[in-house]
Amino acid sequence: MTSRPAPQLVALPLALLAIAVFFAVKEPAFLGPRNLTQLIVEFSIVGTLALGMFMILLTGQIDLSVGSGVGLVGGIAAVLVFQQGWPAPLAMLAAFGAALVLWLFMGTLIVQQRIPSFIITLGGLLIFKGLFWLVIQNSTIPVSRGDQDNLYSLLTTYYLPSHVGLALAAAVAATLAALAYFSRSARIAHERPVPPAARVIAQWLGTTAAVVGLVVVFNHFRGVPLSLLVLSATAGTVYFLTQHTPFGRYLYAIGGNEEAAVLSGIAVPRVLIGAYVLMGVSVALTGFMTTAYSGSSTTTVGDLMELDAIAACVIGGTALKGGRGTVWGVIFGALIMTALLNGMTLLAVSPEAKFIARGLVLTLAVWLDVRLGR
Amino acid sequence: MPEYPSPAPHPKNGALDLGQGSGDKPLLEARGLTKQFPGVTALRGVAFDLRPGEIHALCGENGAGKSTLIKLLAGIHPHGSYTGELRVDDRAVAFRSIRDAEGAGIAVITQEFALIEELSVAENIFLGRAPRCGPGGLRVDWLEMHRLAAVLLADFGLALAPETPVRELGIGQKQLVEIIRAIDKKSRVLVLDEPTAALTGQEVAVLLEHLRRLRTQGTACVYISHKLDEVFALADRITVLRDGASIATLVRHATTIPAVINHMVGRALSDLFPRRTAAPRLEIPLSVRALSVAATQHTPPFLRDISFDLHAGEVLGFGGLMGAGRTELLLHLFGAWGHRVSGAVTLRGQPFASPTPRDAIARGLVLVSEDRKRYGLILAQSIGFNLSLSSLARFTRAGARVDASAEHLGNRHFFTSLRIKAPDQYARVGGLSGGNQQKVVLGKALMTGPTVVLLDEPTRGIDVGAKLEVYELINRLTAEGKAVILVSSELPELMGMSDRILMLAGGRIGGEFARADFAQEKLLAAALGRRAAGAPNDQGPRTHAP
Repeated sequence: MTSRPAPQLVALPLALLAIAVFFAVKEPAFLGPRNLTQLIVEFSIVGTLALGMFMILLTGQIDLSVGSGVGLVGGIAAVLVFQQGWPAPLAMLAAFGAALVLWLFMGTLIVQQRIPSFIITLGGLLIFKGLFWLVIQNSTIPVSRGDQDNLYSLLTTYYLPSHVGLALAAAVAATLAALAYFSRSARIAHERPVPPAARVIAQWLGTTAAVVGLVVVFNHFRGVPLSLLVLSATAGTVYFLTQHTPFGRYLYAIGGNEEAAVLSGIAVPRVLIGAYVLMGVSVALTGFMTTAYSGSSTTTVGDLMELDAIAACVIGGTALKGGRGTVWGVIFGALIMTALLNGMTLLAVSPEAKFIARGLVLTLAVWLDVRLGR
Repeated sequence: MPEYPSPAPHPKNGALDLGQGSGDKPLLEARGLTKQFPGVTALRGVAFDLRPGEIHALCGENGAGKSTLIKLLAGIHPHGSYTGELRVDDRAVAFRSIRDAEGAGIAVITQEFALIEELSVAENIFLGRAPRCGPGGLRVDWLEMHRLAAVLLADFGLALAPETPVRELGIGQKQLVEIIRAIDKKSRVLVLDEPTAALTGQEVAVLLEHLRRLRTQGTACVYISHKLDEVFALADRITVLRDGASIATLVRHATTIPAVINHMVGRALSDLFPRRTAAPRLEIPLSVRALSVAATQHTPPFLRDISFDLHAGEVLGFGGLMGAGRTELLLHLFGAWGHRVSGAVTLRGQPFASPTPRDAIARGLVLVSEDRKRYGLILAQSIGFNLSLSSLARFTRAGARVDASAEHLGNRHFFTSLRIKAPDQYARVGGLSGGNQQKVVLGKALMTGPTVVLLDEPTRGIDVGAKLEVYELINRLTAEGKAVILVSSELPELMGMSDRILMLAGGRIGGEFARADFAQEKLLAAALGRRAAGAPNDQGPRTHAP
């Protein structure tokens, strides 16, 4: 759509590089296979939630309830598996359905009753937190019985065998090449602006090198984590939705100028509710992953995750007032956020200092958003 | 502008001290101003001077550089971002901000409103300089503020309470409040960018009267308007800009409107309103019967007993004073305003009972709104994004994916045929001139393949050349058998382009006129007549929210 180069395109990788260098110098294990794998699992969790938040922010709305929602959905599934003895897939499906219903309800309330999303989702934050603690009875509920693995626990503990990882990397590289080629020939055939071939090839080489390199690093530990695939599928879906479907266009249009969107014949309520339902999907996926990652559902799961998700989006150049942002930006934002948290944990920074650092990053990102958005 | 009842004769020009006193020393002068944006040279060596007590008009097509010049004068484009020299009182100045320019006595009123919607009219007028009282002047003297504001409002003939929140004002009233604020700041140089684009004839007359009075008091004024008759009623000198260069500075007494137009477009324009009446057709795509509409369920009807038929190939003009209900009628037909109390609308033979904009578009009725920035465009997005926004379904394959190539071709068709001036369709709409933005809004509406096109002030704030293109477009639409409703505050335009005119007065139809009966006095009488007789409450706040 827009051919304007965003300042984030250069700034984000540089910021990430700076963070990586800083932590690597302080603690070389930061870039070791074990820590990188762990970092990528954490990144998958934050990134999946941020991608849902991205679509909400694009419309100029906000969702503060997702942190509690993550805990609640994970908790429901954990209780069904551990206390009720349901098979994990069935339990997750039920929790997933609950998330969809909750977010459909919240979205409808916001749209039909014209209550600001900030208020409704702030209510959601508290209500979901209460429901969550009720569901798990303020206790700790493991995600599997005994030491048995199930789909739930495997979400963050399963790693692809090394040859599968490599095959996947090859498939990704081939798919990207094919997509680039076909998109380019379609552009030429229809006299649309075409990026220079050298840049396309360089981009492809860069991406392929990064993917293969990552897989090799992962294979030095246990392999490609399953959660990264969840994130990739989410990112691909959100990218397709926002860039290649009418729904995505409408998200940008509503965030850019809601009144003009209505008068352009866009079914604004339906689109907004759709964005909230998709947020529910992303909350459910994140809920399963983050609960599985901590091994069990406890009262602190999901705490403050809404802020991490919003920070990731804003760091990545998503405008809080809507209408501007990219999937790539959100991915980088989530990476930066996770790298900071992970690095600080590795350096055994005290929790107090971690809270302050998180807050500073969020504030800085919003400040930059305001500055860039004039 | 023939619409205002008695274009007061030019006041004896006693103040017109051209050539006498300090008249030779310009108050404000621009020398060789050149301003470049990435890829565009907006100004090339512009020379301009403003003498004390002079009204100096700037004329030029969209993109000629008028807005850029003003932004230099106002300090919005700071010193250093351009080359050339700005001089005030014969001394070079370097404005780094709006504040600097204001400090030098230059007040700029742009087309974008700088009013705070939630504050009252009085608070806006006195923003940042409210009268104080109490120990140390800590408290705002509300009584005094409201008293002063009431005087200013009465001075401008605005029947508004100073306590009225600005958000309840119509666009024209906002414009006047903005002007009152600038004038009251006692600026030495007043720069007005299209101040009358949204005003009715009466309001224009009042404004011009005030500017003439200020002239006698020594305030100089840079006046930008596309309405040349207004310029000729007011200005002492006229500077024409074209393609970023100052083409000519003319003394108003010694020139004519056609001469100015020639300078502006670089070619002669023979006919200002080239309406070609299409052969009348029998089909009636839109029929309205005894329609009464209220703003909400709990208010009395605002539009009352409106009936008309719109024929294919016809341009039906709607005129009336501000607040007569023209915009509301169009918005209601489009499904974006009001609660229907009674009456029936038939669109292409089918009842159209409780429409939404989405239904309307799907069934072949589109609206081009009077306020393109607020209701028409997603300014942060590209031309193409906006053009196809209402027609994405047509480019969607397999139920979900937008076929970017098909969309590109569809956009390109309108991008070229509407002659939108931009590097390509991927340029941001927010960066375009008013006329080009209007073309994008028109293109978006036309891409939906409509049968009935509602145009609300389609030439507001756009230049002569672009206006002609809009008129030609209207001719093309009716030649294709589409039906057009044209709302315009400019009677010459309304009479020039309509096949039939309905005048609205206080929410009712005040009169219907066939082309042979078009006469300004009759139309004005119809717009005023009913209003004087009844409908005392048509001063009520106007709600636009769709």
